[in-house]
Amino acid sequence: MIRLIRDRSTDIKRTRLLTFHFDGQPVQAHEGETVAVALLRAGQLTTRTAPNDQAPRGLFCCMGLCQECVVVIDGRVTEACRRIVTDGLVVEPTNGAP
Amino acid sequence: MSTTHDIAIIGGGIMGCATALRLAEVGMRTIVLDQGDLGLGASGVNAGTLSLQIKRVKLMPYALAGHREWEAMGVAVGFKKPGGYTLAFTAREAALLQERQSLKAQAGAPIRFVSIDELRKAEPNLAPGIVAASYCPEDGYANSSLTGRYYRLRMRAADIDVRERCPATKISQTSGGFRIETPQAPVKCVRLLIAAGGWIKPLAGQLGVDLPINVRVNTASVTERMKPLFSAVIGHATGLLTMKQKTDGTVLIGGGWQGRGTPQSGRGTVTMETVIPNLALAQFALPALGSARVTRCWTGFEANVPDFYPLAGQLPGVANAFVLGCVRGGFTIGPYIGRLMGDFILGRETELSLFDPGRDFNEELQ
Amino acid sequence: MTADCDIAVLGAGPAGANAAIQAATGGCSVVLLDEAAQPGGQVWRAKSTSILSAPANSESKAGDALRRAVNQSDITHHGSTRVWQIERVDDVWRLYLLQGNQTEKMTARALILATGAREFVHPIPGWTTPGVHGLAGATALFKDALILPGKNTVVAGAGPLAFFVASEIRRLGGQIAAVITPNSRSEWLRAIPAMSARPDLLARGATWVADLMTSGIPIHWRHAVTAVSGTSQVDAVHFQRVSPDWSPVDKVRTLNADSLCLGHGLIPDTQAAQLAGLELTYRAELGGWVARVAPDGITEVKNLFVCGDGAGILGAAAAVVQGRLAGLAAATGFGAQRSENLYQQLLSQHARAARFGRAATALALPRPGLNRVATPNTIICRCESLTLADIRDEIRTGATSTNAVKAGLRAGMGPCGGRYCQTAVSRLIEHTANLPEGSVAPPTPRPPLRPVPLSAMADDFNYDDLPISKPAPL
Repeated sequence: MIRLIRDRSTDIKRTRLLTFHFDGQPVQAHEGETVAVALLRAGQLTTRTAPNDQAPRGLFCCMGLCQECVVVIDGRVTEACRRIVTDGLVVEPTNGAP
Repeated sequence: MSTTHDIAIIGGGIMGCATALRLAEVGMRTIVLDQGDLGLGASGVNAGTLSLQIKRVKLMPYALAGHREWEAMGVAVGFKKPGGYTLAFTAREAALLQERQSLKAQAGAPIRFVSIDELRKAEPNLAPGIVAASYCPEDGYANSSLTGRYYRLRMRAADIDVRERCPATKISQTSGGFRIETPQAPVKCVRLLIAAGGWIKPLAGQLGVDLPINVRVNTASVTERMKPLFSAVIGHATGLLTMKQKTDGTVLIGGGWQGRGTPQSGRGTVTMETVIPNLALAQFALPALGSARVTRCWTGFEANVPDFYPLAGQLPGVANAFVLGCVRGGFTIGPYIGRLMGDFILGRETELSLFDPGRDFNEELQ
Repeated sequence: MTADCDIAVLGAGPAGANAAIQAATGGCSVVLLDEAAQPGGQVWRAKSTSILSAPANSESKAGDALRRAVNQSDITHHGSTRVWQIERVDDVWRLYLLQGNQTEKMTARALILATGAREFVHPIPGWTTPGVHGLAGATALFKDALILPGKNTVVAGAGPLAFFVASEIRRLGGQIAAVITPNSRSEWLRAIPAMSARPDLLARGATWVADLMTSGIPIHWRHAVTAVSGTSQVDAVHFQRVSPDWSPVDKVRTLNADSLCLGHGLIPDTQAAQLAGLELTYRAELGGWVARVAPDGITEVKNLFVCGDGAGILGAAAAVVQGRLAGLAAATGFGAQRSENLYQQLLSQHARAARFGRAATALALPRPGLNRVATPNTIICRCESLTLADIRDEIRTGATSTNAVKAGLRAGMGPCGGRYCQTAVSRLIEHTANLPEGSVAPPTPRPPLRPVPLSAMADDFNYDDLPISKPAPL
């Protein structure tokens, strides 16, 4: 086995960790990342259920178009892939409606 | 072999389709042409409000009959009858409401005035500051988007020829009736009904009839799903707001705010100069709407003549040609007046009288 | 009417940022607007602020250079800004912007649209399972947060993108279960002459493939993922050999994996162009429905230019050049001197880059057999959970336009605005109603271009300012 593309993961330096809450559970995130990325790292793939069939859904297009990753922050439907986490942020799943 | 239809109907909206269905009942060979999709002109893009509180006094019997038609169409068109409140926020609006709704009640609409307490109990999320409200239990809505689907299935079941995305490019009179050129094969017919909403004027013009039709460009907006916020149809004394929350949670907001464009130049476009105050008024009446995300705003063309009564009858001076349209509140009345139109074309007595397109539009309708 | 600036540019990717730079060089006042905080677009997306340091790659270097160039120019750059409405008022363009939860308005004399591409993911059974990401979408994870889509990933898709995604997963230390591509090796070999217009890019692609081969990672040529198992996470990925038209054939094979990156090519993002008044035509070789745009970005509407992948999928190299050409054309319209030399040079550069781009795009263009992958229960419209059977039944009653299917079923009325179903719906109508490819147009575009909070649209409101119109006749 010859690797032509090296594993460079150990060369990545990230910011400090902070904690926010998703669906009542604490989740760790690096300062500056999006809610969606933090949830993905935490293995929280399902971020809501779809309104018509209640099927689990999560991050899909990763670029603010598909609206699959929406969560509720401060009472507003928010794209998790575009919202930067902050310490103590409270994030809830939308679940059904909206 | 080219066949001659007993009647060709130009315009596959509610009125054209409802007329076609009436005519097909007695076996008339009917063809319906639409330049776009069935029921996706004004019929399919209006706000779907079925409210007696915004109907004209003289049209009330037609509106009451229209409500019965929609109720019978039922779930297939998303019909709901949660009742409707019309709100007044100022003394001037309250006076306007009192005057207008009293006249409509006298005309047969079961409208009554409610106390603010009663209103609050029914709709606790409405804003403070409401000084008067009227209520009509018959008010509701249908989902206008489903109009095309509903009529497509009905037309198919009735074995009516339908050509969608098939504009009438030229109409001419022949010895036996009319010949309509289209991008597909031409259509020959004995009778002709023009029921093309905002596009009636140029079509009638092809037969040498100049109808004084103007077109309004009504705007509507919709939000994504919200948790239940209100159940009734909400209106405003000035008519500048209608809103309803559908069973899926989306909130549809209208109020006759004007967009831009003409039927001749496409589908019309919204302009935020009018959408913004429409949404602001919605949020003023129901503050929780502020957190909703708006997903779409659009326009639809609403045709009218100077007296704002329908065109429904013989096309002046052209034998065997008819016109139906320009009905203020056409969504509500459409299925019913279409049926009357069918009766008229069949030479039958109509249940309620129609509206002669040859009348003097500047005189008070008798 | 006076405007806030000469030129507004929508999209700060390779096309838009270069258009802005070029126009500013010509002395125009330029405002560059983009959803992302920093310029770069999707292809050269900037790292998030959560990354203190990381090894560079070609994309990050190109992006950093672009960001430096924007910073050093006279451009006014508004990042984290969403343009949600475009209107033409009294000969100027009026734009409505969302910044945070606030609406801002601005006007410009000319408008350059560089809205790039969105991704086409053809619906397959299980594609809504969490853990399935768009193939292009996944690159955002690598570029922005340098995070992997899973621990063991199947990468599936056509053209060069699948191999780029695989290489990035490898670079970030991830594990790849397999790369599955409907292209055959001979299709790639046939594309090489055209791709040698950009030998640098061709060489990079060759390295990606060679790395997988020397590392013993399976590449399933002429195969496609046809289903995903799992409910709240991906348990397994199923795939099949495909015919040259990408119809699945032979037995189903299964890979254990916890994630899937899946894509079927890019689509020009044209909704802004439609709102600005441009008609679309179908150009299969450019990725589908596009406005008519000249190589220098000129369109049928005065003072409206389109450049980059939004005008047709030709890739970043072509986008850079078309961006400069569009910037030049726009500035020339406002009296800037145009160097004929530069103009001709850019035109020939564009032709060369476009040749590479067309070859890469051709490999990824979805083929008819893809329509056989979805089963009756497969969800087509993700927002409304509408299945293939739902939509096919509707088509069979005579709803043979995207507008009719949208009105009847709500496919396209959900929050994504049809961005993730309308291409599939068009294809399904064509397939079901036996219509030629490219005959079923996307639905009528409706603003806003993105969902906008009502409070942000409604703006400040004084009840007493309500225009009191004449009440409707009694």
